[in-house]
Amino acid sequence: MREIILKIEDLHKFYGKLHVLKGINLEVAKGEVISIIGPSGGGKSTLLRCINLLEDYQRGKILFKGEPIAHKNVNRIRTQIGMVFQQFNLFPHLTVLENLTLAPLKVKRMPKDVAYEKAKALLERVGLLDKIHEKPANLSGGQQQRVAIARALMMDPELMLFDEPTSALDPELVKEVLDVIRDLVRSGMTTIIVTHEMRFAREISDKVVFLDDGKIVEVGSPEKIFTQPDNPRTREFLRHFLSV
Amino acid sequence: MPEWLKVVLDNLPALLKGAVSTLQLTSLSVLIGLAIGTFVGMGRLSRHRAFRYPASIYVEFIRGTPLLVQLFLVYFGLPELGLRFDRFTAAVVTLGINSGAYVAEIVRAGIQSVPRGQYEAARSLGMTHGQAMLYVILPQAFRNILPALGNEFIALTKESSLATVIGTVELMRSAQYIVSRTFLSFPVYGGVALIYFLITFTLSRLVRFAESRLRV
Repeated sequence: MREIILKIEDLHKFYGKLHVLKGINLEVAKGEVISIIGPSGGGKSTLLRCINLLEDYQRGKILFKGEPIAHKNVNRIRTQIGMVFQQFNLFPHLTVLENLTLAPLKVKRMPKDVAYEKAKALLERVGLLDKIHEKPANLSGGQQQRVAIARALMMDPELMLFDEPTSALDPELVKEVLDVIRDLVRSGMTTIIVTHEMRFAREISDKVVFLDDGKIVEVGSPEKIFTQPDNPRTREFLRHFLSV
Repeated sequence: MPEWLKVVLDNLPALLKGAVSTLQLTSLSVLIGLAIGTFVGMGRLSRHRAFRYPASIYVEFIRGTPLLVQLFLVYFGLPELGLRFDRFTAAVVTLGINSGAYVAEIVRAGIQSVPRGQYEAARSLGMTHGQAMLYVILPQAFRNILPALGNEFIALTKESSLATVIGTVELMRSAQYIVSRTFLSFPVYGGVALIYFLITFTLSRLVRFAESRLRV
């Protein structure tokens, strides 16, 4: 059996009185690709953000390679968990190169020339080597998101979290970002992705999680979830979603 | 040459020396104000009460009391408690502490103007709170607040003339000496106004230049 890299146990999250995550249990094995789908406001992004503790939670445990993630070890663990945001969140005052090398230089104390070579290799991989000295404002949304992925990869993460990575993009720019993610997933990267791109989720995932109203309603293989889901809510969501 | 012009020209070296002193006074105060303001501005936004409360008290107290009173308090009051400054140091310290409160509010607004996602992206890469502030948030915050900081420094330049009351020799004080000897108030104070204007005008141009250089 493959190593369990992430384990979420009975996770509860409240915003004041609002109960947004109601007992989430999930295991992610090394190399596994998991898509989280479900209606807006169902808690998908919140769940993802709880993993690297961008959100606090009130009950439950999240273990990364067997170690509980807490505020005292979170900076170290975050270097091993890459995150890509819906709004890219590139640092606008820095060039593409500086965006990539900032954390490796300051957090990992990577030598400058090593960081530079690594940045070049990753930009090559996402097809943006020619933009290395540009500022983010001079890039399209799709290009910015590819840079954001490269930035996360600079830290050599063992797990990648994608929070609706294409939701803020113009339709014609979605494909270039999905291509990069697909390439990454095929290279064996352990991945959790929150997405509304159902066809993509079906194509790349080992497991699809349907999350609604703070609960995991159904988990299964993409074939199962997308063709014959057990739960009526999953069926309803997909019927509605795939018809538009 | 009219008499008044001759007096102004004769005393120009003394006035310019005063202007240099004003520039020294102001720039030292600005540095102190910036240092205090940056930390207090961050303190105002801290999650911890131990930082937030003192920062708020400082800002409210300084903004709620006249600079004139603060100058008297530092120069005449503190010696009674055993803390004695010379006139120039007292002026620098008071103006710096005073400006720090205003800069703190500007810095606070600047930090809040940077989208939350920037901080989250920095932290998600493993940076500490301090690293995220230093490398990601503050550089963007300062770019956003440059015009406001420029205004504050211009205001401080003008307010530095108040240091006259504790006898600090700067531009305004120099002018008073000259007037007391020559009894030519209008030309001398007119010249002083012009020099202040030249300083503040240059400052505002410099700020605008820096703004255009820092634009993304």
